[in-house]
Amino acid sequence: MTIRLIGYSALYPTLRVIICLKELGLPYELEPPASYQSLKDEDYIANKHPFGKIPVLFDGDFRITESRAICRYLTSKYQGKHNDTILIPNDVHKAGLVDQFISYELSYYDPPLSKLVYQEKFAKKFFNKDPDPEVIKQAREELAKVLDVYEKLLEGKEYLNGEYSLADLVLCPGTNYVYGAGHSDLWDSRPNVKNWWNRLCNRDTNKKSFEEIKSFWENLGK
Amino acid sequence: MTIKLIGYLYSGPTMRIIITLRELGLPYEFETPANFEVLKSEDFLTNKNPFGKIPVLFDGEFRIVESRSICRYLASKYQGKNNNMILIPNDIHKAGLVDQFVSYEIFYYDPPVLKLVSQEVYAKKFWDKNPDPEIVKQGREELIKVLDIYEKLLEGKEYLNGEFSLADIYHSPNTHHVYAKYSDL
Repeated sequence: MTIRLIGYSALYPTLRVIICLKELGLPYELEPPASYQSLKDEDYIANKHPFGKIPVLFDGDFRITESRAICRYLTSKYQGKHNDTILIPNDVHKAGLVDQFISYELSYYDPPLSKLVYQEKFAKKFFNKDPDPEVIKQAREELAKVLDVYEKLLEGKEYLNGEYSLADLVLCPGTNYVYGAGHSDLWDSRPNVKNWWNRLCNRDTNKKSFEEIKSFWENLGK
Repeated sequence: MTIKLIGYLYSGPTMRIIITLRELGLPYEFETPANFEVLKSEDFLTNKNPFGKIPVLFDGEFRIVESRSICRYLASKYQGKNNNMILIPNDIHKAGLVDQFVSYEIFYYDPPVLKLVSQEVYAKKFWDKNPDPEIVKQGREELIKVLDIYEKLLEGKEYLNGEFSLADIYHSPNTHHVYAKYSDL
């Protein structure tokens, strides 16, 4: 039974799921949609994602959408089956805290991060708009405040919940984009955050995934 | 070992947890912060929520924040212990779909509902401002598109995932706030 992932690896919610599949040692087929417009087709909305978004994952006949929900499902089902990687601890309290950190990511970390991803990576290349300095300034300020909190959260810890988990994974793809787009100072100016990000970059799955994405953007220019 | 919940009764996120505690048949103590400034105090940031928010839950010594994480933790730990209420199905696929519907609530349903809640419930009460008709109009238009999709998702189903689950609980408090005025939606 094959796992099929519909999405674009350049878009970081899709990349989130790809990293999760790799962490769990799961083979999969990636199917980029024919075009961005096709996400609004009646067929896509009826049979893939009712809100016209990617990624969408099929595990055999089972269909699931929303990247963090997909990651959690894959972890629940396959964690420990192909390798020893634990993304959600079995202990109910530790799992609760991983969930809490995922909620921090979607509530506080991702909103300013995604603005920077759009401004720095997609605005010019895909929408022919220049990056807006005011938006970038505000997003940097918001993200700086969040990273100040993360600096304290990471005191004496290698990862957000002590050991590597889904809480760290979910923010890797977006962070990779923004870090490499001229905003590395935000992470590097905070020692705990800097060390944590370096650790995450050194994980094999991230190294590989970030290299593949780099190639995508290099080839795009050609 | 007591469960202690810190929050405000009118807050949607706090209410999500209260509903979950009740559904699971769990007793709890409820504490309201003295005022909003307390949430930014050094003590609150260090010992309760580093982002200065409510709700915060203590289960004995264990502390957890973020309303949906709190609800999931409570369901994981206590589901089936005090009564038969199942909020997260045991089947992995069904649980995955509940999680998917929770994500729909976070990203598609709640943002426009919050626009309406902020204008209709909070503006006058906390900021002494009248509801901004432009924000209300935007909120309604966005929410209509989402509810059109929910109309299809609910075809032939009593609840989002067939049976009542956490996903339905999360939608309830803020919906309740705006339903009185916008039931037509």
